[in-house]
Amino acid sequence: MTEFYSLPNTGEFWHWTNALHFVLVGLAGGMALLAAILTLRQHPERNRYLWLAALLIVLDLFVLWAESPARWRFSHVWLFLGLHPSAPIWWGAWGLALSLVATLAVVLKPWVGFLRRIPEQLPGLLLLLGSLVALAYPGFALAVNTTRPLWNSMMLFLFPITALLMVLAVALLLGSEWARRWESWAAVLSLGLLVAYPFTLPEAARTHLLHEGLLGYALAGLLIAVAALLFRNPRWAAALGLAGAVGLRWVLVMVGQFQSPGL
Amino acid sequence: MKLERRSFLKLSAAAVGAVSVGGAATLVSRAKAAPWYTQEVRQVFSICENCFWRCGIKASVVGNRVYKVEGYKENPKSRGMLCPRGQGAPAQTYDPDRLKKPLIRVEGSERGAGQYREATWEEALDYIAKKMLSLKEQYGPESIAFFGHGTGDGWFVDFLPAAWGSPNAAKPSVSLCTAPREVAAQYTFGRAIGGHEPIDWPNTRYIVLIGHHIGEDTHNTQLQDWSQARKNGAKLVVVDPRFSTAAAKADRWLPIKPGTDTALLLAWMHVLIAENLYDKAYVQKYTVGFEQLAAHVKPYTPEWAEKETEIPAQVIREVAREMARHKPKAVLPPTRHTVWYGNDTQRMRALYILNALLGNYGREGGFYIAMPPYLEKYPTPPLPLEPNAGGCSGPAKAESEPEGYKPRADKGKFLAKSTAIQELIEPMITGKPYPIQGLFAYGINLFHAIPNVPRTKEALSKLDLYVAIDVLPQEHVMWADVILPEATYLERYDDLVAVAHKTPFIELRMPAHEPLWDTKPGWWIAKELGKRLGLEQFFPWKDIEEYLDTRLQSVGLDLETMKQMGTMVQNGKPWLTDWEKENTLPFGTLSGKIELYSEALAKAGFDPLPVYEPPEAAPEGFYRLLYGRSPVHTFARTQNNPVLMEMEPSNSVWLNAEEAQRLGFKAGDYAYLVNQDGVREGPVRVKATQRIRKDAVYITHGFGHKAKGMSLANGRGASDSYLQTRYTLDPISGGAGLRNNYVKLEKAPAPRLKSVVQILKERRA
Amino acid sequence: MARLGMLIDLSACVGCAACAVACKMENQVPAGASRLWIREREVGTFPNLTVEFRPEQCNHCENPPCVPVCPTGASYQTPDGLVQVDYNKCIACGACVAACPYDARYINKKGYADKCTFCSHRIAKGQQPACVETCPTYARVFGDLDDPNSEISKTLKAAGRQDVLRPEMGTRPKVIYLNAPSKKGLTQEVTRHD
Repeated sequence: MTEFYSLPNTGEFWHWTNALHFVLVGLAGGMALLAAILTLRQHPERNRYLWLAALLIVLDLFVLWAESPARWRFSHVWLFLGLHPSAPIWWGAWGLALSLVATLAVVLKPWVGFLRRIPEQLPGLLLLLGSLVALAYPGFALAVNTTRPLWNSMMLFLFPITALLMVLAVALLLGSEWARRWESWAAVLSLGLLVAYPFTLPEAARTHLLHEGLLGYALAGLLIAVAALLFRNPRWAAALGLAGAVGLRWVLVMVGQFQSPGL
Repeated sequence: MKLERRSFLKLSAAAVGAVSVGGAATLVSRAKAAPWYTQEVRQVFSICENCFWRCGIKASVVGNRVYKVEGYKENPKSRGMLCPRGQGAPAQTYDPDRLKKPLIRVEGSERGAGQYREATWEEALDYIAKKMLSLKEQYGPESIAFFGHGTGDGWFVDFLPAAWGSPNAAKPSVSLCTAPREVAAQYTFGRAIGGHEPIDWPNTRYIVLIGHHIGEDTHNTQLQDWSQARKNGAKLVVVDPRFSTAAAKADRWLPIKPGTDTALLLAWMHVLIAENLYDKAYVQKYTVGFEQLAAHVKPYTPEWAEKETEIPAQVIREVAREMARHKPKAVLPPTRHTVWYGNDTQRMRALYILNALLGNYGREGGFYIAMPPYLEKYPTPPLPLEPNAGGCSGPAKAESEPEGYKPRADKGKFLAKSTAIQELIEPMITGKPYPIQGLFAYGINLFHAIPNVPRTKEALSKLDLYVAIDVLPQEHVMWADVILPEATYLERYDDLVAVAHKTPFIELRMPAHEPLWDTKPGWWIAKELGKRLGLEQFFPWKDIEEYLDTRLQSVGLDLETMKQMGTMVQNGKPWLTDWEKENTLPFGTLSGKIELYSEALAKAGFDPLPVYEPPEAAPEGFYRLLYGRSPVHTFARTQNNPVLMEMEPSNSVWLNAEEAQRLGFKAGDYAYLVNQDGVREGPVRVKATQRIRKDAVYITHGFGHKAKGMSLANGRGASDSYLQTRYTLDPISGGAGLRNNYVKLEKAPAPRLKSVVQILKERRA
Repeated sequence: MARLGMLIDLSACVGCAACAVACKMENQVPAGASRLWIREREVGTFPNLTVEFRPEQCNHCENPPCVPVCPTGASYQTPDGLVQVDYNKCIACGACVAACPYDARYINKKGYADKCTFCSHRIAKGQQPACVETCPTYARVFGDLDDPNSEISKTLKAAGRQDVLRPEMGTRPKVIYLNAPSKKGLTQEVTRHD
């Protein structure tokens, strides 16, 4: 039996606002990737997605700012200009910033003269780069914590893939037919990862997941499974896939704050 | 990295420049307000008040707030270190629940209903004085009892009652704590043990602790010394039904059957004598009555003791031999709280006699001889009565009261001279031997200290005057007619504390800042009250500074010098050899020696040699209720301290793991404790543990408050005191044996309470 | 440069929490957060028992996982080997809290991550950390691990069993535990499935 005088800081350190960020940043990064590809391919729908990407990035940054207890202290903003390549959050900040600049460089063309002189391929490539960083960063931000066994290297795949599932689902819901095939693939991949994930966990972590997150995890799995298999009605599949991916990311962020046993 | 960053910054200088036009103000905004230690810090000497140990401290003060206290090297109690209670004590001064203004119970409201109106000090003191004088007129001065505890109790339990003329002044620290050991020490050594157990820890080689909770009671110096002894390689044996913290550090743990300690002590004496292992030279030179003792312990073989104590005879023998091998540097220190089963003076006598057989009293590695420091009283006209609330009590001798004054109301119930606080409750109800109609309660917690709470409540409801002087709205305080809010230890002077010690010393308490709110120091309250009672002649000092200065002059100091020193250390005479150099011995017994056989006890009709009485058995289905201390709490006075409550917000009931399983309790479940008289306490968390025998349960003392005004303490845990509806009076010392109470466990729901942290966070917001 | 570390003798520690309270007061640690706490655990069955009283705090690791994950450089190592937080650089993102294997960090509501500093403000004045100074059992020694004449180095040299928390994490803690009461070393939580 373990007893304490005073308690170690085992409480939740990331709250629902942070979970929300992990959803929004997936949407933002994924949307930026779609926009980058569409821009590079000069797809007629590209502007819509560039706008969406910009909007989601701004929304995500706003959430981050609003939830931070340090939000009225701006002295740290320039600190990101330092070089901290070992910190995934530093990469994430740059990825989002780059993506935002690149999207704006394209969408603001009609109003800003000098932007017209830049060929769209350049911001397109930058956006591709930024979006890939933004897509990858959440998984790294979690997986880097070797002391939290639920956040294992599966995060590196789960987070980008579910991000793609989310944005492709959104694209489908917006009526972009080209997303249909990719959305199914993302759903199938997500489902595969979701099923495999518990088996990659050490026992204590798995037990914790099943104790604390079983309902959410199972529900997310069910939604994604239905999305992956319900080809008949792509809209429904998209909606369910989106919900499942959001739920899965949420569960992983909240339940994953589990300290590995050994103390 | 630095260079890289600099060049990076240069590159982005333009961007930064542009943004910082808007952000210039926030650029310099700091995350953290300057912490207290970067401000101008005053250091003030004082004495801790979070327990009775009275460590010398240095308070770090910024403005009207003490942020930190520390021990200091020159003080023989703290020696630069403090226990958790001492460290956390300042938090009490800033407790928003404190009593802030004098309160008078609303006329016509019932006692205990807690209806009060605010009053000025003038009005409150006038009210008390008028009532006291009318009680004196009607019943005599002895009809007012004075109870108190803490450093300030001298004003209200020693000085004021002696000046007023009431012998009914009592401290819980006597008959609810140390009486048996002090009385036994007087009968054996002719000396007190005193507040600071005089064990020469650093030199001892073999320590046997019997029910002694070092580490859980965190008496600062004792804990330091005991740790030092262990670092020096002393062997440690712990006798306890529970695997206490001390047991966890022991070389041997003897899980004794509760209440059979005297049997064990007698068997150890038997082995020492039968195997010729005792210190013959010492016994011959310094003791009387060895022949009678040898004959007395002859039948008490280890085999006999095994049946009583459930400790294997072989182990008893081995420990006795190991003790003997290390003598005289083997010691069995007396515990502080010795009121266990009612025959406690005899048990303590057995303990001292065993120590004497080891030849350790007055010798290195054993007991040193503590001397009080030299310090004179403030000259006053002679007080009508001698203060006798006590601490240390002398052996019984013919005792008479001054002309015109009645004897103590508890006189005749037991042998010792000191007052037994629990025996003064009955007269409040029955009026026998004479009525007690008034009561002062200073610092003492009536409900968490005195057994049989229902009786205490009945007594309180019958009083004509009940005055409480305290810092917090404790439950019993909210029964008083008048509540006087005292300044806390950080806000007041008190009388000098003179400590009997290896190196006797005097220490000073001075205020770190002015009292907060409308609170007043105890000395001021006593003097103002004295004035109104016509006792002005006994309070001749102008103020406390003048009082302290006068007393300090008797040791060649003055107050200003003492303020810079904190502590003044004198020389002692710790060893027998120091006394022999002066051709004397320290023993104040009738024979002038250590009395193994006590003629005085025999004359008074008691056993002259310790006799074992088996403990009464627990009723079927009940566990013996054992209790003890938490290292982060003191009695019932720290459970509203935010810092200490965050450390440990509640107690839990220790139940043997197998018993827990049998009863269906899982770790973390809650239970009610129901005692033999049907009193229920809790819910309290069950600690299913290997660390206790199956026949007893254990809780730490001080929790289970029922005081609505104490927002952190109220309703957390269970109170052992409320479950102690019975006690067994020790006929020699007047001690109230508290361990003959029994409880059973009933399943309970988890209490619905806001967490301490939650309450503290809401306070901050 | 010094390499500051602390050792805690578990055979001396009684788990009284004087260190934890001293820390709380000295550093005015807000309610609900701890820089130092005691873990108490029993081992064995009646009557063959031991109890481990284990104070825990920031280990000031030589290889601290909390430092590289900081996106702003607020978490850093001093030349003396202390792991510290520059409150004015911190954005309270919680990355370091997540990275710490010892639950040593918390987010202060004022907007920064915080934890044990080894009382750097006291060290600067030549004092001992508050927890070391107050310990009534002489369980703690603080000093320079690189100085062979420091008390901590000498004690370590003479010591028997030495342990650190979670050695498998590769963090190389500089809070070193001596004389773990169990023969198996420091105790670990037994995960239960009830």
